[in-house]
Amino acid sequence: MTDFSVIGKPIAMIDAAGKTTGAGKYTDDLSVPGMLVGRILHSPYPHARIKRIDTSRAEKLEGVVAVAIGKDAPNTYGILPVGHDEHALALDKVRYVGDNVACVAAVDEATADRALELIDVEYEVLPAYFDPEESMKAETDLIHDNKPHNLEKDYHHVFGDPDKGFAEADCVAEARFVAGEVTHAAMEPHSTLASFEIDSQTGKPGRLIVWSSTQVPYYLQHKLSLVLDVPMAQIRVIKPLVGGGFGGKSEVIPLEIIAAIAARKARAPVKITYTREEVFWAHRGRPRTLIDLKTGVKRDGSITAVKARVMQDGGAYCSYGVVTILYSGALLGALYDIPNIQYDGYRVLTNKPACGAMRGHGTVNVRFAFESQLDELAARINLDPAEIRRRNLLKAPCVTVNGLRVQSYGLPECIEKTIERSGWRDRKGKLGKGRGLGIACSHYVSGAANSIIRSDMPHSTVNIKIDRDGGVVVYTGASEIGQGSDTMTAQIAAETLGCSLGRIRIVAADTDLTPIDIGSYSSRVTFMAGNATLRAAVEVKKQIASAAARKMGCTADDLVFRDDLVVRKKLAGESHAATLVSAAVPSEASVSERVEGQILRGSLQQKRKDEGPKDSMSFEEAVVAAIDFHGTLTGTGSYAPPAEARGGKHKGGGVGPSPAYSYSAQVAEVSVDEGTGEVTVHKVWAAHDCGRALNPVSVEGQIIGSVWMGMGQALTEEMVWKDGMLMNPGLLEYRSPSSVESPEVEPIIVESIDPEGPFGAKECSEGSLAATIPAIANAIFDAVGVRMHESPFTPERVLAALRAKKNAKPINLTDGVDPTNPARFREHGGSLWFKGKGPERHALDPSRLAAPLEAGGDD
Amino acid sequence: MKKELIELRVNGRAYELALEPCTLLLDALRLDLQLTGSKRGCDDSSCGSCTVQVDGIPMLSCTMLAASCEGQEITTIEGVCEHGSLAAIQKAYGDWGGAQCGFCTPGFIMTVKHLLRANPDPTDAEIRGALSGNLCRCTGYNQMYQAIKAAIVAEQKGVARASSPAR
Amino acid sequence: MSLPQFNLLRPRILEDALSLLAKHAGESPASTRVVAGGTDLIPSMRQKLFEPEYVVDVHHLAGLKEIRQTARGVEIGALASLTAIEQSALLRRRYPVLSEAAATVASPLLRNMGTIGGNICLDTRCLWYNQSPTWRKGCGFCIKKDGDLCHVAPGGTTCWAAFSGDTPPALLCLEAEVEIASASGTRRIPLSELYTGDGVAYRKLRPDELLTRVFLPESSADYRGVYRKLRVRGSIDYPLAGVAVVMKGSDGHIADARLAITAVNPAPLLVKGVSELLTGKAMDESLAAAAGDLAAKIARPLTTSALTPEYRREMIRVFAKRAVLAAAEN
Repeated sequence: MTDFSVIGKPIAMIDAAGKTTGAGKYTDDLSVPGMLVGRILHSPYPHARIKRIDTSRAEKLEGVVAVAIGKDAPNTYGILPVGHDEHALALDKVRYVGDNVACVAAVDEATADRALELIDVEYEVLPAYFDPEESMKAETDLIHDNKPHNLEKDYHHVFGDPDKGFAEADCVAEARFVAGEVTHAAMEPHSTLASFEIDSQTGKPGRLIVWSSTQVPYYLQHKLSLVLDVPMAQIRVIKPLVGGGFGGKSEVIPLEIIAAIAARKARAPVKITYTREEVFWAHRGRPRTLIDLKTGVKRDGSITAVKARVMQDGGAYCSYGVVTILYSGALLGALYDIPNIQYDGYRVLTNKPACGAMRGHGTVNVRFAFESQLDELAARINLDPAEIRRRNLLKAPCVTVNGLRVQSYGLPECIEKTIERSGWRDRKGKLGKGRGLGIACSHYVSGAANSIIRSDMPHSTVNIKIDRDGGVVVYTGASEIGQGSDTMTAQIAAETLGCSLGRIRIVAADTDLTPIDIGSYSSRVTFMAGNATLRAAVEVKKQIASAAARKMGCTADDLVFRDDLVVRKKLAGESHAATLVSAAVPSEASVSERVEGQILRGSLQQKRKDEGPKDSMSFEEAVVAAIDFHGTLTGTGSYAPPAEARGGKHKGGGVGPSPAYSYSAQVAEVSVDEGTGEVTVHKVWAAHDCGRALNPVSVEGQIIGSVWMGMGQALTEEMVWKDGMLMNPGLLEYRSPSSVESPEVEPIIVESIDPEGPFGAKECSEGSLAATIPAIANAIFDAVGVRMHESPFTPERVLAALRAKKNAKPINLTDGVDPTNPARFREHGGSLWFKGKGPERHALDPSRLAAPLEAGGDD
Repeated sequence: MKKELIELRVNGRAYELALEPCTLLLDALRLDLQLTGSKRGCDDSSCGSCTVQVDGIPMLSCTMLAASCEGQEITTIEGVCEHGSLAAIQKAYGDWGGAQCGFCTPGFIMTVKHLLRANPDPTDAEIRGALSGNLCRCTGYNQMYQAIKAAIVAEQKGVARASSPAR
Repeated sequence: MSLPQFNLLRPRILEDALSLLAKHAGESPASTRVVAGGTDLIPSMRQKLFEPEYVVDVHHLAGLKEIRQTARGVEIGALASLTAIEQSALLRRRYPVLSEAAATVASPLLRNMGTIGGNICLDTRCLWYNQSPTWRKGCGFCIKKDGDLCHVAPGGTTCWAAFSGDTPPALLCLEAEVEIASASGTRRIPLSELYTGDGVAYRKLRPDELLTRVFLPESSADYRGVYRKLRVRGSIDYPLAGVAVVMKGSDGHIADARLAITAVNPAPLLVKGVSELLTGKAMDESLAAAAGDLAAKIARPLTTSALTPEYRREMIRVFAKRAVLAAAEN
């Protein structure tokens, strides 16, 4: 194994102390002089035309400075170039309950709240669409006029010869799966502070400065420019600490633009922080998905063909939708060797908040279906579920039938390790009544090989500056959102330069200071920003080496950089023994030593000056020598994925390709209470191939966090809708698991060193999520023999499935939908539903005006 | 509504604040005292990000009126550091990955500080139970348990250093 | 979300609190609210479900936090925290069903704040009611607040919001009484008489009255007790169904038993006929199942919370059966 001094070591994140002391600043913690509070008026209707807005009463309220509406910034935007369908504030139409109508900037929150009640809006309520299958039948009152049948986008891909594949199969399974809608629910509600600087030359408002809870500062700068008609150079976006994203902050969220519009109109800084309910309305989470899946296998377990029809309930705007529906199809490939694939994907618009990217973007729900069906096929051909997965491994390096290049492939080891640690061979099927084990696999991209904005620009660029003080400053646009981006950057810089971590300062995610990085999404940061950091550091190191070599009278190739020393190679082994001792000293003890060291080095420096060329130099000496020699010491590195990794040429072929894929295999142990249908997850063993683990504590944290979030989607989390009303827009009713029901997760790191990853590293933050849901579903099957085809596996659904299996006295626990065979979307989406004609609608609703009240049943 | 003069004792210091009667303790801390370590994560008293200790008992500062706390001793995350250095539990949370995005962390630390004072050697189930009023969306809680156990060891040995993960 | 504006009154002794209530409650019934732990009222005020002119903070009233043994049983001050109820050695020994129920309320943080009086007086809950003003506007409001429609029983004219306290079913089983004080005097009523069964006017408590004490009779002491709560998460959640059972046995036979349910009706209910069904018999599966059927018969859950009403009623049946079995085994 390669011997590193910083890489591969479990270290605390470099910003940990700010988080554990409360000193770290998130956007809502910031204030600037004269700052106003912004609050947004939201639509109470799912689909309506705005006939008139009168803000005069609100404007007259004492303490109100400005009221902004749609025509203050009428340009459209959207995260995808093909999906510019949003207005920051509605111009003519609102498209979901919660859509943004107006914004009040006032001296405090209470005043702004009162002013919202004084804005008079006259709506013409339109028929609305809530079910994607119904929505696709629409001929009139379209959600967007340019989207016939409310179809955002559909794709139809055929790779290989699926019909021939199915003909060759000995066993074919076909079923419908439904996955409920889930959301990121990051602990920090979105927040944006926008402020205009006064231009010294014109004396008028000049540059816009925006602090925002974003995963994508560069895209935010771009969209602000678009909507506000301000050149990008006149906008500075700064990302303070971000309290979790998971995709929910990976595109431009309405408040980010609204705050700037309000600040412009109020001529004062404006901060908007969403309420938790507003976070749910902004949403952009994982869409409710309907998957019709057909898989064929031979008797030996090898997959002959897969056919998937996927429909996503995308909400009222495009968001990342086109990418989501493509990921769902593209990542059917690159996990197993599947020779024939047919994919039909439909992204449908409905009158609900837009869905977008969420951890495991696009892959999760299809993976739930696929891994469940594979389990079923294994049972039918009497093959162990772990074995059927082993029989379909890729022979990497390879290119899949749909054009995905796979270079490093740790899946076989992941499977081996999970079945070994979980005791699969001895325990599977032998855990007694109501308890079982399930296995499933998943994978994910290490960043998209093609950026969403088509261009040849690098996806990440990093600058490094070293000065005479010996401090190393790394400027990166990469966005730390809690995943460890800044720490990863510091580790790679320190390892490459052979200096201590304490020397590294990270300046990140500030568009004035840091070069462009397209953001923290699709698990791209370690691979891409990491590679850019590595390249920048290598460039600087070369400059230091050439100067140091001159001083030492050797060639640059003779030098080794390690532990704050630059040493000639023949001596490196010797000095290494000494540095190992010093490396073992914990960092908090090193402060006083550093002072001593400086004095020591100072005298050493003098001594060396006197004595001429040496066999080693301190890092600081070498840096000073390099600056003396080169004038300045800076380096730049950038990363763009290689052309070979960018995928096939078919329509939509740009989504799915990645320079490298992570792999995951998991075993879940669950028990099911057959009297109540309650499922308890006892433990999950999760092996994840992350290439090289740069920081094992962080990698394990990401694996555990992914598995845990997958468990939430599997068991407790679901956005529940009724006629466009989100029934659970809060953390009390949207049930993110608490510590009590969260299982032990045993993370197992598998390191298939990737040839192109920085130090061989790949993705570790998303790929594990998708395997958890089917692992739990398969464990439920092992425990009680019911195959759940609808997530989440709420107790009522599991009990309904158990009752159906036993032919017990039927009670209608789930609105007549069999969770093992969900033929349709439930009108109510999930755990909540209504019999008969459903709830009363608003008094102004046309459907209520048209149909006189009938006496409804009361049960 | 007319503001009233309130005396709040926070982290051992007394502050006189003019507050509206409807001011929540969380807002008084964040907006009037600039103690922004306590966070607002929800609006329905369910997430625990705003947890502070009132007379040593962890409570939700978003669900209390500031004026109602007059005469009580309030401790926030800003009052946890010891002699300008991290307390053992803070150090351990950093070392063991107990904090990722860090937004929920102050609330958890206030809860855990109380747990360890009331029950210096908790069982796994007691730790889980005690933490169950604070939500975290990043960690899945597992690494927090490791951090808490490491902090207990560190407290027993009197050095935070013992909590560094060894691999 | 900011709170509505109000005058905050902070009496330190009960007499002052009662006279303040008498003074201000007279102005209009909605003009005052009492706050103790705040865990119910504060989130509701955020959602503008209450916009009182006066809030009377009773949290620091002297003498209403004690849990003490008296000649006639145990007396609990209404301001005793749910954590105190959960941890009281006296209650755990003599009235275990109450400690067990208290231990399941919400989360440890909320139990540190919430009081037994507040849990008894808890407002009824419904997904169409416990929402922000904008949200409620979106559905045209509801019968419980600002509107004339019921969304869970279309066409209905009564409110079915569910009473969602955990301790009241335990208290009902213990035949608890509550003391209600006002400036004009105190009265003491069985807890069962506090609730009306209507989702809007769910409790018989005048705006000038304060619930001050809870009495557990000596005759209910030393019953074995079990509380079972249906929730999706192991913490934080309100009950979606709840069953409390107390039981006394002698020589392998049941000497007395009582069973109450919560979170499935606008009031917590003592299930009638349970004592008659069980007394004098030896516990077995079918007897327990019969008790479960009795409980399920009076459960009338509607779509006021997560999980389907049918499922919640079924869980009343299953939990009641299991609780009865567990109480018999204890």
